[in-house]
Amino acid sequence: MTLLLIVLLPLFGSLVPLATERYGRNICAWSASIAPLISLGLLISLVPGVMAGETLRYHREWLPSLGLDLSLRLDGLGLMFALLITGIGLLVLLYARYYLSSKDSLGRLYALLQIFMLAMLGIVLSDNILLMLVFWELTSLSSFLLIGYWSHQSDARKGARMALAVTGAGGLCLLAGALLLGHIVGSFNLGDILAAGDQIRAHSLYPITLILVLLGAFTKSAQFPFHFWLPHAMSAPTPVSAYLHSATMVKAGVFLLARLYPALAGTELWFFLVSFTGLATMVYGAYTALFKHDLKGLLAYSTISHLGLITLLFGFNTQLAAAAAVFHIINHATFKASLFMAAGIIDHETGTRDMLKLHGLWKYMPHTALLAMVASAAMAGVPLLNGFLSKEMFFAESLQLEYLGSLSWIMPVLATLGALFSVAYSWRFIHDVFFNGEPVDLPKYPPHEPPRFMKVPVEMLVVLCLVVGIFPNYTVEPFMHAAASAVLGREMPEYHLALWHGFNLPLLMSGIALAGGLLLYSQRKGLFAFYERKYRSDEKLVFEARVQRSVRLAQWVTDRLENGSLQRYMALFVGSALVAGAIGIWPLQEWTGSQALTPVDPVSLIAAGLLIVGSFGTVLIHHNRFAALLLLSVVGLVVSLTFIRFSAPDLALTQISVEVVTIVLLMLALYFLPQLTPNESGRKRVARDVVLSGAAGTGVGLLCWTVLTRPFSSISDYFLENSVSGGGGSNVVNVILVDFRGFDTLGEITVLALAAVGIYAMLHGLKLPLPYVDSDGRRWAREPHPPILSVMTRVLLPLAIMVSLYIFLRGHNMPGGGFIAGLVTSVALILQYISTGTDWMQQRLRWNYRKVAASGVMIATLTGLASWLFGYPFLTSTFTYLHWPVVGKFEVASAMAFDVGVYITVVGATMLILAHLGRLAQSTHEPPATNEKGEKI
Amino acid sequence: MMHLIALPVLLPLVTGLLLLLLAGRKNFGLNRAISLVGAGLLVLVAALLFYTASSGVIQVYAMGDWAPPFGIVLVLDRLSALMVLVTSVLAFFSIWYAAGTMDHPAYNLNGLMHLLLLGINGAFLTGDLFNLFVCFEVLLLASYALLIQGDGPDRAKAALHYVVLNLAGSSLFLIAVATLYGITGTLNMADMAAKVAQLPEDRAPIVGTAALLFLVVFGLKAAVVPLYFWLPRAYSAASAPVAAMFAIMTKIGVYAIARMYTLIFGDQAGHLANLVQPWLWPLALTTLTLGFIGVLASRTLRMQVSYLVIISVGTLLAGLAIDTQASLSATFYYLAHSTWVCGALYLIVDLIRHQREDGSDEIKSGPALPQATTLGLLFFAGGLSVAGMPPLSGFIGKLLLLKAAGTGYEAIWLWSLVLLSGLAAITALSRSGSTFFWRTSGVATTGKAQAWPLAATIGLLATTLALALWGEPMIAYTDALAEQLLNPERYIQSVLRHTTVGG
Amino acid sequence: MELLISIMLAVMTACGIYLMLRGRTFPVIVGLTLFTYAVNLFIFVMGRLTAGAPPIIGSGESYADPLPQALVLTAIVISFAMTAFVLVLALRARAELGNDHVDGAPVNEREDSRV
Repeated sequence: MTLLLIVLLPLFGSLVPLATERYGRNICAWSASIAPLISLGLLISLVPGVMAGETLRYHREWLPSLGLDLSLRLDGLGLMFALLITGIGLLVLLYARYYLSSKDSLGRLYALLQIFMLAMLGIVLSDNILLMLVFWELTSLSSFLLIGYWSHQSDARKGARMALAVTGAGGLCLLAGALLLGHIVGSFNLGDILAAGDQIRAHSLYPITLILVLLGAFTKSAQFPFHFWLPHAMSAPTPVSAYLHSATMVKAGVFLLARLYPALAGTELWFFLVSFTGLATMVYGAYTALFKHDLKGLLAYSTISHLGLITLLFGFNTQLAAAAAVFHIINHATFKASLFMAAGIIDHETGTRDMLKLHGLWKYMPHTALLAMVASAAMAGVPLLNGFLSKEMFFAESLQLEYLGSLSWIMPVLATLGALFSVAYSWRFIHDVFFNGEPVDLPKYPPHEPPRFMKVPVEMLVVLCLVVGIFPNYTVEPFMHAAASAVLGREMPEYHLALWHGFNLPLLMSGIALAGGLLLYSQRKGLFAFYERKYRSDEKLVFEARVQRSVRLAQWVTDRLENGSLQRYMALFVGSALVAGAIGIWPLQEWTGSQALTPVDPVSLIAAGLLIVGSFGTVLIHHNRFAALLLLSVVGLVVSLTFIRFSAPDLALTQISVEVVTIVLLMLALYFLPQLTPNESGRKRVARDVVLSGAAGTGVGLLCWTVLTRPFSSISDYFLENSVSGGGGSNVVNVILVDFRGFDTLGEITVLALAAVGIYAMLHGLKLPLPYVDSDGRRWAREPHPPILSVMTRVLLPLAIMVSLYIFLRGHNMPGGGFIAGLVTSVALILQYISTGTDWMQQRLRWNYRKVAASGVMIATLTGLASWLFGYPFLTSTFTYLHWPVVGKFEVASAMAFDVGVYITVVGATMLILAHLGRLAQSTHEPPATNEKGEKI
Repeated sequence: MMHLIALPVLLPLVTGLLLLLLAGRKNFGLNRAISLVGAGLLVLVAALLFYTASSGVIQVYAMGDWAPPFGIVLVLDRLSALMVLVTSVLAFFSIWYAAGTMDHPAYNLNGLMHLLLLGINGAFLTGDLFNLFVCFEVLLLASYALLIQGDGPDRAKAALHYVVLNLAGSSLFLIAVATLYGITGTLNMADMAAKVAQLPEDRAPIVGTAALLFLVVFGLKAAVVPLYFWLPRAYSAASAPVAAMFAIMTKIGVYAIARMYTLIFGDQAGHLANLVQPWLWPLALTTLTLGFIGVLASRTLRMQVSYLVIISVGTLLAGLAIDTQASLSATFYYLAHSTWVCGALYLIVDLIRHQREDGSDEIKSGPALPQATTLGLLFFAGGLSVAGMPPLSGFIGKLLLLKAAGTGYEAIWLWSLVLLSGLAAITALSRSGSTFFWRTSGVATTGKAQAWPLAATIGLLATTLALALWGEPMIAYTDALAEQLLNPERYIQSVLRHTTVGG
Repeated sequence: MELLISIMLAVMTACGIYLMLRGRTFPVIVGLTLFTYAVNLFIFVMGRLTAGAPPIIGSGESYADPLPQALVLTAIVISFAMTAFVLVLALRARAELGNDHVDGAPVNEREDSRV
């Protein structure tokens, strides 16, 4: 429970400053530091237990089926890191209070810093690698926000995104690695994984797992060649750099190495991957640091090189090396954090970080200078300071290597070289900034000491450097011991930290490094010039360029694919259908099945011929739209004849009435569209389309043939048997529609109503250019509608209504029914409308057709719901028989009410469409539109 | 309560019709109230059904009391219950959002939304293949009508493409379903599954052809390569609540694929057992790849979200293609997550857009938004979730899927692509995010967002957190769902053995 | 007869799809309608060809399969609604885009024959 509290307190702490910010900066600062203080207190209270070698655990299930649980552990390693994180975190909070200018939001920075603290604590305390991963990504995200804190600066934005991209990618690799670990071990619990080291190393997936995990660690710890994001993260406020990019976040990577050391280390692969990455990073970082004129740039590269050193130590695969690595983690955190803060103070007081301007600050801010000098001496590894001790151990270990055989000398030599460089840049930091003449046009002049409390954090850290450096055994030794044994997973070998090991090789190496470093710095002029000539590349620009290039490439690809051409998409659709069909039909042995064929009669032959001619004709003359329409109607006619021929009178009726309406619609629409289709398809496209459509036609034909020639038995007999007894109607098709499959019909009329609503919405406020003349240049007749026709239709209307009523009533037993009746009614009304124009109609039919259609569906629905009253499912029907004149005996089924709904919907929908198209014609009539664009009313 | 199963269909139908009948300027407020209440009730119903389905019992509702396979049946199993729940939650927040923003009386947005729900829920619940077609048509026409709301050339063009392609799709659907009827002589899915199981050699390929044609139809709905090209423009053109609602549309295709190729053409389908799964795999991976390329390429936020939708489709299909219990479970967890989060993202983008002075969502620097912090946080959270960053539901979904892929040759592909798409999403979203919220000059003069839409957006986004916190019960449910899906016998039996009220 | 029907279907489908692949809204709609006719006929014949036996109880002793007929009826209505909708949409697009190309692009830019 305590552990959970330690981790979660910063979360609470992140909310406080946002609330207290308005009460002034001091209150904000104090209130913000409460939560971390408690965390630190709790940690300290746990120290004795952990020192005694026990491991505290907290476990709570979250997603057991995923293996992701909320389980925490506190052992030596975790404790050491947790102390670093909370301790330095507090100092940074204090420091930031004075660092941040009054126009920046202190609360926001505090909130983000504490969220980050939470994430870090999570990493070092989690006992489940998936959970660790969660926090791992959380650090990347919060650091993204922290680096981008000054979001108005382009560098900050770019740096933030770069850091996120690199560490994020690493995180994904780590995720894969973690999953593999879990797969090998069968558990994501850290304890199990650490225990299963031999099993992991023996597993065939070990290499890939190792590589993935290392990618995660190396990107986070800015190892070569992934180091480039770190220098650019320096555009963050200095407290952030001090905290994230020296003390904690970049240490997450090496922490991971330490954490998984028992599970992954100890193989040749580990040695070569880890130590050589570390070596390269160390030397490269130290070398580059020497040439950075920006204070923080120098510190950033030195951080990279020290991280390299730590990595290298872990790579050595020896127990003492690991211990040394842990030791150096502590030391580096202390002196580097203090250096960053010092750099921040200098920046804060002088207004610049450029070492070409900063000189001779000693006489302006001696106190700060002293602190900085001690810290950088520690960085250089000068005796009496903590840096010296860990460096000694490092040298000692570099001499113990056996992997390289005859080439073993390389390691110590390069180690010394790296140390040499670090001495050089440390010395440069001191000499350039605090001595070396007078300052050159500082933005703030004269500089002076910062506020008292801004120095306190630095002082504390520097004191730490000294104390640890002089009395290692009484200060850091126990922590280091506990941590190292946690890393090694067993008791740490006998070793005692001391200033003096007598004259030995490591001491000599230190000496060489010190002397060489000073010498190198004295030669700096030439070196700088050489460096300027040689490398002038800004990784940020490179990164941006990369991103830009990939974006452009992506856009190129996307624009090629998704080019906004419907014809292309349609062709793809037809093509896919063809491919799918071909794959499906492939295994078929026989196209023709066993079913006996029905004979062909001349009439059908002629009809078929007519249909074929009609279809082809439609295509051939489709450029003349009107003619195409006429041929189309011929095809429709033949189709309905086919329905009659094969005993489907209902279909024939419906097909014909629908066709009438459709054709009328198309003609109305044609009135607003160009009369001719321009011939714009190139030969290639026509060829493609002919092939596609030809293939599709053949496909459908073959499919039909294969099915028709195979025997068939279906569920339909049931309908034939139960139509009268169960549905109370002898017209089985109609009974199926309104009863057996009434739900389909309900959906179908809903579609009609929807179409009405949609069409209304589209025509709403639409104004179209009206053609003066038709395709042949004849003016459209404008004079009102022919009188005879209008008179006739007025007589016709009631008759048509009667007919439709009749059709409707007999529908349940004879061909007919609500739908056809509805269409007939509408056709009559359309005739009316054609002959007399909308005004006459509108006067008589002042309905909101949308609502007519909707109410039709409503009636049908309510009929269906009625059956609930009798405890039956939706749409259950009942019926009884009646005798009527003219119509004779017919039955009233509840399904009839349903059919009424259908009828009303059909009338409503059809009339809406036609009437509104008509009104459109009226509204656009005068004055004739002249421009090509139709604009809203 | 036996009618409960029918409510996800009937409730939206009645509400929708009511709204159409009450349409008009004067009772505008009433309209919204009814719409919202209807949506709320639907969520309750869905939750209830979800609960009942979790027991594992498969319930059947025979429309018109005609015994299956002759009448039309609604079937409630774990899968359909989940889909209905996902839909209704999404719909509730979309409608809530719409209530606070635009709704032109001429467009009947609310009415159409509910009729869309009728179609969607019907598609999830129906056990009849032709009725599935009808439901598809209902939801399609509703979606057409919703898509063309408002005007502007982009919208008209996008709508035209969307409509024409889907009309072609519907025709293909009819051909396929007719072929199935022509051979098996039935339309009821369970019955058909039983019949397909013992098809003779000389007819199986014909049915197989129909099955593959269905893959094309559903592929068009689900926006699978090479049939997804219509989606980005169409979704980007739609108004925000509609676009959010459309986040479920692709999942309908995914559902149909999952249903048909486990129930009818699953392991027990004789000659045709699992005939599409091999084709799903390459399709899924290609879709995934093109999806994340598109995310990088997007020039507007809405395009970006649309391509994120396509990524999710690819991911889901991959899960279906692996076709193990673990992978299916992961798929449906991820489905719920991606639907809700993508929906939320469309809403967030809309809020952002309206605080831009030019009202465009083009990814270029401009004045700072009045509510930069709030919207920034929302965008950040949504982005994290959709990119699969911890600790939100996207992370869990991806983790489940990656685990389900095992460590074989399949895993290599899936892992690299899923992780890459995650990286692409992070990169792209961090770019657009920093452009919109950091690279600003001055402050826009636009007003703040109203409380309601903002609340709706936050509500919908909150689901990702809920899915993460209560992930375990959810995963348990999807595990059971997958198990049920892979053993269709129980489904078939409970449908064919169903006894009507009339006996 | 089966062969004849298959050929009719093949021709209608081919012509319909060819028109659907055109670049202007009107031919596309005509194509859709033609294709719809084909599809309806296809559904219908899936119930096999039965002459002179309409499924009206009492009109004879054997009956044609009523189910496909019912399905076709539903399909006809739906496709009618769809046709009407897409037709008006075409008008709308014409107004919004200024011409009747499916992609709304001016003709001169559409001369290319991208495949």
